Amino acid sequence: MAATTMARPRRRLRVRPGRLLLNLFLLAAGIIFIFPLIWVFFTSFKTDAEIVRATPTLLPKTWTLDNYLGLPSRAPFLRFFVNSLLVSGVSTVFIVFTCTVAGYVFAKYRFPGRNLLFFLVIGTILIPIQTYIVPLYVFVRQLQWLNTYQGMIFPTIIMSSGIFFLRQSIRDIPDDLIEAMRVDGANEFTILFRLIFPLSVASIAAISIVNWVYTWSLFIWPLIVVNQESRFTMEIGLMYFQRQFITEYGGTMAATTLSLLPVLVVFLIFRTQIIEGISYSGVKG
Amino acid sequence: MNVHETTVRAPAAQLARAHILSAPGLRSTLRRQQGLFALTLFVPVILLFLIIRVIPIVQIFLFSFTNYSVQRRTWRIVGFDNFVRLLSDQTFHLAFKNSMLFILYAVPIEIVLALALALLINRKLRLEGLYQTLFFLPYILPMVPAGIMWKWIYAPGSFGLANYALESLGLPRVGWLTDPNIALFAVVIMHVWKNLGFFVVIFLVGLKAISPEVVEAARVDGATEWQTIGHVQLPLLRPTILFGVVMGTIWSMSVFTEVYIMTQGTDVSAGSEMEVLVTTIYKEAFQYFNMGYAATVSLVLFAVSMLFVAIQFRLLDAKE
Repeated sequence: MAATTMARPRRRLRVRPGRLLLNLFLLAAGIIFIFPLIWVFFTSFKTDAEIVRATPTLLPKTWTLDNYLGLPSRAPFLRFFVNSLLVSGVSTVFIVFTCTVAGYVFAKYRFPGRNLLFFLVIGTILIPIQTYIVPLYVFVRQLQWLNTYQGMIFPTIIMSSGIFFLRQSIRDIPDDLIEAMRVDGANEFTILFRLIFPLSVASIAAISIVNWVYTWSLFIWPLIVVNQESRFTMEIGLMYFQRQFITEYGGTMAATTLSLLPVLVVFLIFRTQIIEGISYSGVKG
Repeated sequence: MNVHETTVRAPAAQLARAHILSAPGLRSTLRRQQGLFALTLFVPVILLFLIIRVIPIVQIFLFSFTNYSVQRRTWRIVGFDNFVRLLSDQTFHLAFKNSMLFILYAVPIEIVLALALALLINRKLRLEGLYQTLFFLPYILPMVPAGIMWKWIYAPGSFGLANYALESLGLPRVGWLTDPNIALFAVVIMHVWKNLGFFVVIFLVGLKAISPEVVEAARVDGATEWQTIGHVQLPLLRPTILFGVVMGTIWSMSVFTEVYIMTQGTDVSAGSEMEVLVTTIYKEAFQYFNMGYAATVSLVLFAVSMLFVAIQFRLLDAKE
């Protein structure tokens, strides 16, 4: 007790100026780091004439909403937005189910081939979709699912890292609890829904949010399975918009801001879960 | 939910329960229930996993020995023709070289910068959460708007921020995305900016897992700040650093969206398109419809990824 009270004031005095500098440095570096975002946001409220001026300024001289108001007449962004919400939302509902079922069985069941299957799950965590996109496309094409929502969603309903993550957290649920429910006459479905689900809520929330962000941002898959405007996601719509209206800088910045916004809002609300989910489960994918 | 109720039951009850469960009748009921559960829920999930994740990977092997194309009705086995073509395909060579250069530039920068930031942030700062958020933010942003944003930063005109910064330092403007010598590095910078937060976060988790006593002991023994970092923290962080290297390598190797958004498309002058492995796969499969050859390029991507997956498994083994 005495030692700590002795040590404390001395350490504080010694370190403080350094700490202030460190804080200032990290704050400045952090703001520079997200500066592109701040810049795009303010630029989306500038007039095109002001955007291409030789000496750029951060804040608009005259604030205008024209860039946003002009969007619907050029491209159906509302439709793109709804498509993105639909694809990422349905995918996430599937993920919750598939990851919990697989996680439970891998954690608590013993059956031949379990280790091999689980090995495949871990192995595929690190293999990005780009690697096997050609056969996957051929398969979805044979199902005649090109330009359909089911085709867009299909590859995103399995999340290897999510299965791994839930298997790890369900393994920590004591077998005693499960056996007690079995003795009380509960069947496996009841155990899943009444015991495993409620006890894994935090992990399920983490993988759901990570998966939602991942599917919202997905680009290469919708790029190859969708070529009808009515099925474009925000990402695809934004890409074509930028290419078609190259000189409409303000409109592009407004559309860019709109496509970033949902992810930013979700991130600011679920910051802890996202950071934890990503750092422990390893990856999206 | 009666979780609490069941946990507080006496050990005697536990014994009784074990007894009941070991009775032959109940055992087989349990077996049957588990079997039913597995059949109705687990088997479909695993089938989906195999269809979506495992079979396509097996198929890239099979495809690469064919001239399969979705545009033709027939296809045949062509042996090693696709592999022979790899050897003489200039575009593939360029793509392979660029992908390897991408790893070579991006991974060391990501790891070193993230380590430095993590070591700076991990000092019980009151604003730690804020710093973590600021640096992590780009990682969760969708790649398309992020790419468009950076295309703007690199814009050739005077309104591009990168050139504006160069000019205000008295340096000449640069064709960030149009000069082939610079374009790769320009995309690497964007890629690093986008992914750095992931590495900062995993390194912070790793640093916090190091017991404070170990670090304190080193300080008491008179180690300087640099010695503590070099001889205590970094060696203990080694598994996390290696995990970061594996992830960074796989992500660098499979870059597509940032390259596609920033260096390709109708608004980019011809000849300055940047070629990497995945853009080659994309073009061969979905513009020229050479699915067989695209699968062969995928196989190269897969083989190098597998190498790193194998390393990852060795690391996991070493940890346990």
